[in-house]
Amino acid sequence: MIDFSLLGFGQGGWGAWLLAGAVMTLVVTLCALFIGAVVGALVAAAKLSKRRLWRVVGDTYTTIFRGVPELLIIYLIYFGGSGAIGAFGNLFGNKGLSPPAFLVGAVGVGLISASYQAEVFRGSFMAVAAGEIEAARALGMSRLLRFRRIIVPQVWRFSLPGLGNVWQLSLKDSALISVTGLAELMRQSQVAAGSTHLYFTFYVAGGVLYLVLTALSDRAFGVAERRVARSFRGSLGRG
Amino acid sequence: MNVRTVFAAALAVAALAGGPALAKDVVIGTEGAYAPWNLSNPDGSLDGFEIELMKNVCPRAQLNCTFVTHDWDTMIESLNANKFDVILDGLSITPDRAKVIAFSIPYASTPVGFATLKDSPLANLPETGTTVTVTGDPAHDKAEVAKFLDAFKGKTIGVQTATIYTKFLDDFFGPVATIREYKTVAERDADLIAGRVDATFDDETALGASLATKGNEDMVLTGPEMAGAAWGPGIGLGLRQSDTDLKTAFDKAIKAAIDDGTVKTLSEKWFKLDVTPKQ
Repeated sequence: MIDFSLLGFGQGGWGAWLLAGAVMTLVVTLCALFIGAVVGALVAAAKLSKRRLWRVVGDTYTTIFRGVPELLIIYLIYFGGSGAIGAFGNLFGNKGLSPPAFLVGAVGVGLISASYQAEVFRGSFMAVAAGEIEAARALGMSRLLRFRRIIVPQVWRFSLPGLGNVWQLSLKDSALISVTGLAELMRQSQVAAGSTHLYFTFYVAGGVLYLVLTALSDRAFGVAERRVARSFRGSLGRG
Repeated sequence: MNVRTVFAAALAVAALAGGPALAKDVVIGTEGAYAPWNLSNPDGSLDGFEIELMKNVCPRAQLNCTFVTHDWDTMIESLNANKFDVILDGLSITPDRAKVIAFSIPYASTPVGFATLKDSPLANLPETGTTVTVTGDPAHDKAEVAKFLDAFKGKTIGVQTATIYTKFLDDFFGPVATIREYKTVAERDADLIAGRVDATFDDETALGASLATKGNEDMVLTGPEMAGAAWGPGIGLGLRQSDTDLKTAFDKAIKAAIDDGTVKTLSEKWFKLDVTPKQ
């Protein structure tokens, strides 16, 4: 069956190779989640806006990025981005400039994750009890202070479980970046499989590493949720 | 690390495109995952038939070649989007692809043959061990196939679907044998082992890989190697259509590597058979 020395770290072992892929997957997904959080917060704000124009912009964003296949978006950014950056480069006589695969991957997965994060943030904002905001206003808190002391801490807390889901989605979406040749876990598994003709062995190994990443991050989110829940009275948190 | 590689590649491409007619730096895009054509070692270094061949061909063409690895699925689009200058990935020269990219002259053309089981009556076909030339001219090829066609009367031959080999089998073996098509090589091989087909038909590098796979120990090659233009021009480098100088340089260097036997030596090292294009 599976020859485990092939997966080790010794001579001829692919352990370090696969692990490097797992680290790359983790890093690119972290960057994507960060990009997604910034863009997602803006989109959520647009969707919650009183102005109709902003609501339309926000809704259009989430409709497009949730409704189009992730792979297509990555292709669009990879090749479309090349076109745009290439044209920009040509202006300065620097032909053939092209965005690095890491940037394409982080932005691609990030923009997709933003559409899901926006929905999470919007839901969490609506879950903040109207009475609390009213009370804060009654105490004379300014808009900014209300946002900082009342809204952000609660939205953050309500969002965590949803963000855990988005993180897992993004972690798996990151496998699609392999089409750009970025040395993340999917691509590293493919290369090892194709180089040795041991497809089963290396795809199983890659799958196990994805599971390790998702299982560990699941635990991390669990711990974070409990920590955040501590500062609230028993009502909603898991205690 | 990959970010930097790609960025360096992009800069190299930029330098190349902006430079005078024939530049010296060339970035070769390869999969690094298509053994034994091109493959990666666990330490990340590239190896394989094509990699060694290019390390021989590039100096001949006075080109300073560097390699970047890239996924197969986006190879051709990436070439045209200037992500690299050359595709090196067991790329068959086909009319469809020739519409969007240019090709060098072929540096390999894999012969095609049969595999069967050790104890099969087909295991000792006439002409086994010889090379037969198939030109794509129906009359000529029919005469060549006739030398061993009788052995296949009433037999079943398994072949991967949607390949150039399917049509060849239908045309020349169809009248006497049953042709059964399979989606994947693994399914086809499983049916050979199970006795549901009597022989399989494929290019010999692929058959070699099947023979080397665990569980296929009873498989043997049988009959002649069939080589020639019937299988298309062969395997070549993919180039941008605008890079005509690069094509000229590579064509000349590949021809020299074929003529002095470099291709044959490397081929026998990596494939245990000669894939030098015949013509």
